[in-house]
Amino acid sequence: MVKTIILYTKQTLLFIFLISIFSCSKDTPEIVNEEELITTVELSFNTQGESEQKIRWETTAPNTAEIILKSNTEYEVQITFLDESDPGDIENINEEIIEEVDEHQVFFEFSGVTISYVQSDSDPLDSNQNPVFINTVWSTSVASSGIVRAFLIHEPTTKNSTTRNGFGGETDVSVDIPIRILEE
Amino acid sequence: MIKHFLKITVLLFFLKGIPLWSQDCDFVISGTINDLHDGTPIYGAIISIEGSDNFAQTQENGFYILEGLCSGSVNLKIEHTECNPIKKKVSIDENAILDFELEHHINELEEIIISDNQLKGLNGNAKESRLNRDQIVRFSSQSLGDALTTLAGVSSLKTGNAIAKPMIHGMYGSRVGIVANGVRLRDQEWGSDHAPNIDLNAFQNVQLVKGAAALKYGGDTPGGIIVLSPPKIILGDSLFGQTIINAATNGGGGSLTSKLMKSTSNGYYINGQLTAKRFGDLTTPEYVLSNTGMKEINVSFKLGRSIVIKGWELNYSRFQNETGILRAAHIGNIQDLLRALESNIPLRIEPFTYGISAPKQQGLHQNIHLIYFNQFKDNFKWQLDYNYQVNTRKEFDVRRGVSVDIPAIDLKLQTQNVLANLKWNKTFSWEFEWGINAMLQDNFSNPNTGVKRLIPDYLKTELGSYFVGSYKPSNSFHWDWGIRLDQVDWDVQKYYGVSDWKTRGYDKVFPQFEVKETGTQILVNPKLNFINFAAQTGFSFEIGEQFETSFSYVLSQRSPNASELFSDGLHHSLATIEYGSLMLEKEISSKFLLSLSRTQGKLKGSFEPYFSRINNYIFIGPKGLQQTIRGAFPVWQYDATNALIWGVDASFDFNFSSQLNLDLNASYTRAQDLKNELPIINIPPFNSTQTIKYSSPKNRYDVEVVNHFVARQKRFPDLNFSVNTLSEGSIIEQLVDVSTPPKAYQNLDLFFSVYLGNPNKSKTILRFMIHNITQTKYRDYLNRMRFYANEIGRNFQFQLVYSY
Repeated sequence: MVKTIILYTKQTLLFIFLISIFSCSKDTPEIVNEEELITTVELSFNTQGESEQKIRWETTAPNTAEIILKSNTEYEVQITFLDESDPGDIENINEEIIEEVDEHQVFFEFSGVTISYVQSDSDPLDSNQNPVFINTVWSTSVASSGIVRAFLIHEPTTKNSTTRNGFGGETDVSVDIPIRILEE
Repeated sequence: MIKHFLKITVLLFFLKGIPLWSQDCDFVISGTINDLHDGTPIYGAIISIEGSDNFAQTQENGFYILEGLCSGSVNLKIEHTECNPIKKKVSIDENAILDFELEHHINELEEIIISDNQLKGLNGNAKESRLNRDQIVRFSSQSLGDALTTLAGVSSLKTGNAIAKPMIHGMYGSRVGIVANGVRLRDQEWGSDHAPNIDLNAFQNVQLVKGAAALKYGGDTPGGIIVLSPPKIILGDSLFGQTIINAATNGGGGSLTSKLMKSTSNGYYINGQLTAKRFGDLTTPEYVLSNTGMKEINVSFKLGRSIVIKGWELNYSRFQNETGILRAAHIGNIQDLLRALESNIPLRIEPFTYGISAPKQQGLHQNIHLIYFNQFKDNFKWQLDYNYQVNTRKEFDVRRGVSVDIPAIDLKLQTQNVLANLKWNKTFSWEFEWGINAMLQDNFSNPNTGVKRLIPDYLKTELGSYFVGSYKPSNSFHWDWGIRLDQVDWDVQKYYGVSDWKTRGYDKVFPQFEVKETGTQILVNPKLNFINFAAQTGFSFEIGEQFETSFSYVLSQRSPNASELFSDGLHHSLATIEYGSLMLEKEISSKFLLSLSRTQGKLKGSFEPYFSRINNYIFIGPKGLQQTIRGAFPVWQYDATNALIWGVDASFDFNFSSQLNLDLNASYTRAQDLKNELPIINIPPFNSTQTIKYSSPKNRYDVEVVNHFVARQKRFPDLNFSVNTLSEGSIIEQLVDVSTPPKAYQNLDLFFSVYLGNPNKSKTILRFMIHNITQTKYRDYLNRMRFYANEIGRNFQFQLVYSY
């Protein structure tokens, strides 16, 4: 009898021991430093005799700014992708795009306005001499208004296309910016 | 609780029965134990005398001898791993020869799991709810999810071909429990694209408990519980093993699995098992599914000692896999999704390769399990289990500007569990079990991924107690019942976006959780607790030789899982942003199951309707759009509704002759969201399987042709949304149809098995299988890759099973 009770006490102690393994606490988790973020798309427009026009699309802003261009004019356009999530450390994603140029493609689509664009002389080329379209020359036509949709495409299935669907790949950026072409 | 435990054990001590020892103790009982159906001898069955440590085990010819018996009346218990135990009261006044017949194919767990299919256990028609050794062997190179779909009422929710999650009666994930080797599997079951980290090859029996009545393992699984049990230990000198080799044309791969078991006459045993699998890209009838290769390597090891009335065991298992996700399914925004939907073929098709690149998953699951059991005072047996599981999971995405070696999701889930169980029987007819269970779970989400945590860091504790019992006055009547109470506590640390925290109103409802604000993020420490009550009862009885019926009722309560509470992020293959909800309450489900079966000569039929009503059914539904730098994304958020799920599983079996057998199986499930008056998403459509099997005389070989039919799911919620695309200078609004289920389909499999050597104890089996013989091109509603690609095409598979 006594022996049995001792046995049970031992078993109970074992159980208490196992329960006590369960006592622990947790450290405060580190804040995640988000990488590969793009928070801002910046478009700059330059044409002779005019000062530079800069339009920004930001994830945290209402983004109502409109691009105003003149009809029948050529513009040097540069697109810049930025990570401004940390104001103390703004990252220019363009550098990364140029570094991995074969895996990236910038593309523009328009609605309501007729604009054609080609690569500019300063545009970086990929290993097959395809333009990335970071630096382009836009030619406007008649006065009208609409939107421009700017894309950054990751790992496009082809680098030669004239439509978004044609490029395939995954969309990293797709932003719509209002645009107006005024009579010269 | 501990005090209580002590009190009970002391109390039980006084309840001790009076042994039946008497003067003459030199009688001998001997005999043979055979299979009830085919009369073959059963090896390794244990014959014991209740209330004593006297037992014997059958030899290879089924013979046993039990010596040193005293005169008087004793209760004999005959047990075997794959049989239902039987009990018999005998009076001993002379040496006797007693032969017994055991019902085969029923595993040992039957006695502790109060299942809704008890009756099948009695009559052996357990095909619908159990996978036997042979079926497990067939699926040796596939997954648990695939193997289970052969059972009526089970489907699998898939992500591609390699990731298959079992679904019972339309429920999956946290609503379905998986118990392996007596412990609940604790992996990240909440994610619909996570397959259970289990190697089927380590087990000998898989049992499906549709009614979630295995209260010993939890009361929170309204879908049901899948119980996997290892091969039974042979008591006595033995050494045997098995090796299975598979080679398949589709994916150009195969698997190797080998196990070895050794036991000694003084009760020690040691088991080892190893599985390796490797497949390259799979192919559909028309194209390669790029990046769908997989590799897996699993090891398990067991050491123990059992002398029937007491014993111990140490178990270790390790499961490691790497699975590629169809490359074309990785998309950036909804316009990309639309493009994928509009294309008949995946948008990225590369030449076949064995290489696996991003997107891919890597999982590692390790499990250490210690068991000690002891029988004291006649009929009381107690068991203590300690279990430690570590589950790590890494998901690699196609990423820009980040090394491909850095995962986008990196989780480590550690779970410790202690279970103390006491089992006793008052008389032959009454059996009881009482136990307490304590669990501590720690999730760590590595911040070095550079991606917002999908699941936060947390500590979760669960404390539960259960009491179950059964009454079985005869072999034709059975009543069982059980109750369980659990307390679940969450201690979570999570960063929310400040604006997100406020727009969802959490700052008003949960100000007490706020810890500190750092810039745009706020650290919160939610402490949530839930008390869950579960109960079940069931009856089963036979009416005459032909008719059997059973009924069961299960009440289960489930607290929301980590994903439902805290999900926070973008889903790359569906282009949706998914949010959890802190407001969720526990889910309460009532399920009724009825089973009717009838045997008439060569005909056997069963009909099993079920009905469940779930209050606070947690589901994820659309909640508007969110503007991002990649365009607008549909937002999905977890929410609760009331749901009604009912359906029928039916089977029909006809033996034309002892050689030819026809088997029909069908399931129908209907699920409705009662609040929103909508069908529930991802419910299996009507499906049916027809099998014709021909076995040669003397069982030298058999041929089996299986036809699967899956109807189109006509009941689905409309979750479509639209996207603006620019085309030729104008904006076009296009519908993104993510709701319409794919068409009905049919496909055909063939199995040809040759049994070498003695047909009844074949050591070697050669098997040739063809899956999807007709190269059917189809997509499956329950496969999340259906938006991108067809299911796999024809596959020739060769299998060699060698036992020694």
